[in-house]
Amino acid sequence: SPPPSISTRSRSAQFDLKEYWTTLITDIDRKLDEAIPVKYPEQIYHSMRYSVLAKGAKRAPPVMCVAACELFGGDRLAAFPTACALEMVHAASLIHDDLPYMDDDPSRRGKPSNHTIYGVDMAVLAGDALFPLGFQHIVSHTPSNLVPEARVLRVIAEIAHAVGSTGMAAGQFLDLEGGPNSVEFVQEKKFGEMGECSAVCGGLLASANDEEVESLRRYGRAVGVLYQVVDDILEEKSNNGQETVSKEGKKKGKSYVGVYGVEKALEVAKELRDKAKKELDGFEKKYGDSVVPLYSFVDYAVDRGFSIGDSSSQWEF
Amino acid sequence: TDVLEEKKPPFDFKAYMIQKAESVNRALDEAVPIREPVTIHEAMRYSLLAGGKRVRPVLCLSACEIVGGDYSVAMPAALAVEMIHTMSLIHDDLPCMDNDSLRRGKPTNHKVFGEDVAVLAGDALLAFAFEHIAVATPGVPPSRVVRAIGELSKSIGSEGLVAGQVVDIDSEGSDNAGLETLEFIHEHKTAALLEAPVVLGAILGGGTDEQVEELRSFARCIGLLFQVVDDILDVTKSSQELGKTAGKDLVADKVTYPKLLGIEKSREFAVKLNKEALEHLSGFDPHKAAPLIALANYIAHRQN
Repeated sequence: SPPPSISTRSRSAQFDLKEYWTTLITDIDRKLDEAIPVKYPEQIYHSMRYSVLAKGAKRAPPVMCVAACELFGGDRLAAFPTACALEMVHAASLIHDDLPYMDDDPSRRGKPSNHTIYGVDMAVLAGDALFPLGFQHIVSHTPSNLVPEARVLRVIAEIAHAVGSTGMAAGQFLDLEGGPNSVEFVQEKKFGEMGECSAVCGGLLASANDEEVESLRRYGRAVGVLYQVVDDILEEKSNNGQETVSKEGKKKGKSYVGVYGVEKALEVAKELRDKAKKELDGFEKKYGDSVVPLYSFVDYAVDRGFSIGDSSSQWEF
Repeated sequence: TDVLEEKKPPFDFKAYMIQKAESVNRALDEAVPIREPVTIHEAMRYSLLAGGKRVRPVLCLSACEIVGGDYSVAMPAALAVEMIHTMSLIHDDLPCMDNDSLRRGKPTNHKVFGEDVAVLAGDALLAFAFEHIAVATPGVPPSRVVRAIGELSKSIGSEGLVAGQVVDIDSEGSDNAGLETLEFIHEHKTAALLEAPVVLGAILGGGTDEQVEELRSFARCIGLLFQVVDDILDVTKSSQELGKTAGKDLVADKVTYPKLLGIEKSREFAVKLNKEALEHLSGFDPHKAAPLIALANYIAHRQN
């Protein structure tokens, strides 16, 4: 595959991703805060807010959704409600993944997990409430003058499919089940789906055509898995290869590095980076500089040149 | 035409229910086929296809017909409501919630598949419900489908079903849970999942705003009615007759209508709700209203 042009690379380097990213995080955090006001019965709202508004969240899915929308000249106001919904359904998945009879994780992003604070029953219900709240938020907040209703339906279907029985729920199931050669599948489903869905939704909201949406699909999936593979490599390096359980409580057998070693994981990371960039090369010809944020996403995944939010937390695509 | 009208046979509710429930069952079976990973899909199908009277989906189809729509346009929404109802039962039965081992006369989902798969199967049913309405609703303007999805999501989240469940959990063993708490629980927990199918059916069938609201009021009455009758049956029937653990509410120290009002007053309340429900249908064409009238009467007089 041909490498991206030198000019794009330099523009990508000049583009201030950190500024772009932190501005969007501020907007998204505020909108999420407004989207979940505390009402009766209060405890469920506290439980929902605890996970959705966790400090230091990097908001990678919503930022990618907005960036994909802006690639096609879409207004970011069209993308914000869906961007928030992505965080809500993502939080719902993570709350349920952490439950005692699932991954049994007492902590998440360096803080006690939802059920540790609110109890297992509330954690189940908080997840059950956050899934529909995401869809409700899209329906009630997406500006109808910017997005045709047929597009809203495609976005809802896309998100529902991503978290469903052949997407993230499938990834979680196979993660629990273990078994040989499951690591690729689990990573694709648990991390690739969210990246894919985020990029695709952004494109759909900006009325991208079907071919463009499919390209975003491959891009988002590659970037989602790429972040996780690089996270695993960084973690392995910081542990100096000692046999250990990661911050997320993940055992070695469940990461690329644990299964294939650092060398192979680096190769996979390189392949994913090239794959993602190849998709963007097509967009650059048509849309020029507006593709730069999506390029810098890929570079950042590999380089981690600066920290966003709480540097101790992982990317969690 | 008057003469011909008079010759029409009286509405055969039993045949109507059987025919509609069969088409719902067929459509559910087709909508959720076995895929990879097989276990999750088996768990989804286990609870989804476990029988049941399909009152909620049939309400959706009938509400679509009462406003003049063809019931097929409401079928995906009808299935979605049943998927969400099933998901709420699966999660409700979990050890961390009601800890039930029997449902519709069969072992509960987590007893068969484990708690982890039961949670995931519920989540997957919830997600698929939305995907199915969005993708499979035939020949309806997208604006109506979007509106229906908004209604459904509101009725099952923290302002609806989940709120009812939270207050229900809180009220267990509480001495000061009064009628107000009880009504909150049932308006949210039970009534929301009867209101949603009726409102969705009316919207998708092309009902006017006025018709949709009239049917919403109807649905709220039968939702509360459903629960009052459920509470009475829980006290007066055996587990075998009910297909679930009888007296469970008493054992769990749950607040119920018979406990607060006594059996007689609870029965009177049921009669009043039934009457009110029918009044909300009085403005519709009597022939088209026949299924919803019969459904309200069925909910009032059911034995299990």
